[in-house]
Amino acid sequence: MPETALGARGVTKSFPGVRALDDVTLACAPGRVHALLGENGAGKSTLVRILTGDESPDAGTVVVADRETRLGAPREALGLGIVPVYQELTVLPEMSVLDNVLLGQERSRRGLLDRGAQRELARAALARVSLEDLPLGTRTGELSLANQQLVEIARAIARRSSVLILDEPSAVLSGDKLQALHDVVRAIAAEGTAVVYITHLLEEVPALADDLTVLRDGKVVSSGPATDYTTDRIVREMVGRQVDQVFPDPAPPAGEVVLRVSDLVPVGSSAPPAHLEVRAGEIVGLAGLVGAGRSRFLRTLAGARGRSQGGVDVGGRRVRGSLTGAIAAGVALVPEERKRDGLVLDLTAAQNITLTDLRQVSSAGLVRTARENAAFDEERERLGIKASGPGQPTRQLSGGNQQKIAIAKWLRVSPRVLLLDEPTRGVDIGAKSEIYRIVRELAASGMAIVIASSELAEVIGLAHRVLVFRDGAVVGEVHRDPDSAERIMHLALGTAS
Amino acid sequence: MTSVAAPRGSRAPRLAAFSGLVRRGGAVWVIVLALVLALTFARGTGFWNSGNIAAVLAGAAVLGLVALGQHVVVLGGGIDLSVGSMVTLTSLLTAVLVDGYPIRTVPVIVAMVVLGAAMGLLNGSLVSVARLPPFIVTLGMLYLVSGVALTVSATPAGRVTAALTDFSRATLGPVPAPFLVLVAAVAAVWLLLARTPWGRHLYAVGGDQHAARAAGVRVRPVLLGAYVTSGVLAGLAGVLLAARSAIGSPTAGSGLELSAITAVVIGGTSLLGGRGSLLGTVGGVALLALITNAITLLQLPSTWTDLVRGLIIIAAVAVFVVRRPR
Ligand SMILES: Nc1ncnc2c1ncn2[C@@H]1O[C@H](COP(=O)(O)OP(=O)(O)OP(=O)(O)O)[C@@H](O)[C@H]1O
Ligand SMILES: [Mg+2]
Repeated sequence: MPETALGARGVTKSFPGVRALDDVTLACAPGRVHALLGENGAGKSTLVRILTGDESPDAGTVVVADRETRLGAPREALGLGIVPVYQELTVLPEMSVLDNVLLGQERSRRGLLDRGAQRELARAALARVSLEDLPLGTRTGELSLANQQLVEIARAIARRSSVLILDEPSAVLSGDKLQALHDVVRAIAAEGTAVVYITHLLEEVPALADDLTVLRDGKVVSSGPATDYTTDRIVREMVGRQVDQVFPDPAPPAGEVVLRVSDLVPVGSSAPPAHLEVRAGEIVGLAGLVGAGRSRFLRTLAGARGRSQGGVDVGGRRVRGSLTGAIAAGVALVPEERKRDGLVLDLTAAQNITLTDLRQVSSAGLVRTARENAAFDEERERLGIKASGPGQPTRQLSGGNQQKIAIAKWLRVSPRVLLLDEPTRGVDIGAKSEIYRIVRELAASGMAIVIASSELAEVIGLAHRVLVFRDGAVVGEVHRDPDSAERIMHLALGTAS
Repeated sequence: MTSVAAPRGSRAPRLAAFSGLVRRGGAVWVIVLALVLALTFARGTGFWNSGNIAAVLAGAAVLGLVALGQHVVVLGGGIDLSVGSMVTLTSLLTAVLVDGYPIRTVPVIVAMVVLGAAMGLLNGSLVSVARLPPFIVTLGMLYLVSGVALTVSATPAGRVTAALTDFSRATLGPVPAPFLVLVAAVAAVWLLLARTPWGRHLYAVGGDQHAARAAGVRVRPVLLGAYVTSGVLAGLAGVLLAARSAIGSPTAGSGLELSAITAVVIGGTSLLGGRGSLLGTVGGVALLALITNAITLLQLPSTWTDLVRGLIIIAAVAVFVVRRPR
């Protein structure tokens, strides 16, 4: 067995305006899980793309099985057993689950697809990511984001790999699914595969990683066995400073009820009607397992989804059940699927940020570039957005920086009601605590805020009270106290005593 | 998991069933059926006369072959505007080269299919190797190939053999021979799309080229294959057209590219690529053939054809286009 299954030697890569990677050297050993950590824009995904032949380095080389290798295309890397799951989903929504799992590795006999063998292979791979019950003919676009991610991982697992690279696989997974992912990662490493694992959820590191490497601004800050690192040390090396993750008690909400939801049933839901009142200055958390209906509830409040009964009032006025109606009433949603619903990828970073309120940056009917750039600079400062400038196309930003843009654009409109769906997924730890601070500030200034998150610590830490969802219905409400985490879990799982 | 069923007075399930029908290409057949019913009951049209049925089926053959090729290209995220001119050139050359000599029939047919493949290969290379936009490449080819046809002969020319003419008039029961060619082609394309790795790769490349590449798909051969398929089918269509009209004409196939695209689009295939069903495209061909026939049978002025087509395209797209689930 080689000493280094996959590695980089002195890899450097620049894009106009940024040096994404600067003399990066890395070695991943067979049978070990290697965590790759760093802030948004640190260069992790760029390194992955170079290691898999999707891009070529400006200088330096890729090492495969102890040998320096030139990779011209992802196909060549795949041929050598280097199998990536990129940060951006590459499942094809219009194709079936079966076809997606086997894409690029179809089994055929005499030129025709061997459907029996295909099914068997797909079933086996899906079973390893806990999707054994998923019908193979399902159109992949109909699945939840989490399941699409698992289908993508199943595609990688179906290949025989000597190296498996997972770029933020956990960004859309939680609960059982995250657990299933961890199990399969450990099992694959135990089979002798080197696993490269990228994540912003630092609790995953001690649970999974054998080795780790921290990148900052394209450079390797440090690298070593995971046991040498505490979370504090990782954060310090990633961010270059201390980040406090404590949640002070929020100020009690003083204002009157801003948002009133009565008898609400989203279209297509068979759950009992939901009620909710949120006062000015109040933060309400929504907890629950993936698929419990939190996102659907938020989308219905924001008018992005129809309601089959019930109503939403803001400031005592009925809100029309449409997106424009909700926005006019002062309801803003930072959606979960930010890439699809939250960004125009071909616009520049600055244009995306100011899209929600062009009046702020225009005068005499014309958009003022200077003001647009100023708005961008403000948000860059606030959220630590890493971009070469306001004019960089959003498509070129790193995944986490795209998230930050999608959040920033709604923070700028100062809505009366702010709905946040998984606001910190894929966002690095520094920006996370900054988002927490902003959310608190916005509440203190009188906004009513509803935040859904799979990260329990986050909902509990931020919110005055937490509504727990199960199977589309609100099954309980939990107030801030020391046992709230446990009570929420029981409610979410349906094991409440 | 989230509950999928939605019992309580919601429109969602019916919409879902409808969009499923659209996805599988069934929607256009609803209009085809309606039109057939209307023609059946319209007084004295004689729609079901065996002569008329044969005429409809034979008329569908040339368009059908070209639309099949278009279907394949569009699935791969491209478009082939040159098919009409390829039909023109191959049908003209069939007549000119055969020129009434029986011994030349078979070699010329083979040559036309090869010529179609070659033109498709050129399209495909420019698109996949030189990475030029398909719309522009095939638009250029349209003019180029039409120009070549005009230099071959600017006026009707050549003559096919009796064997070819007989073939185009022959029937098997009520089914004309050219239509059987179409049936065979549909079967072959279906097999390619549904049962080979290449078919899977075509859907993937059409859906998202970068994602397909990331999964290890070789994009180039996939696209080359699509344009070659289109070219071969256009070559075949050219031969059938020559057989039917007996002599060659330098404008024989003009406008066919738009009819083919129409058939593909009203069949529910997405012009963005990656989504579509063969059943839909075949339905689109059936619909276009029926419209032409209906106008003849109802003795409406033939100038109405375009008018009716335009209305149907817009109506079909408005009703049947798959709206992305929100
Ligand atoms: N195609 C490109 N063109 C220009 N700049 C790019 C391109 N791809 C990446 N970059 C830049 O390179 C830097 C590193 O990006 P990369 O995607 O590797 O970050 P990352 O560490 O994966 O971040 P995240 O945690 O947000 O996913 C960023 O500043 C990004 O804007
Ligand atoms: Mg990344």
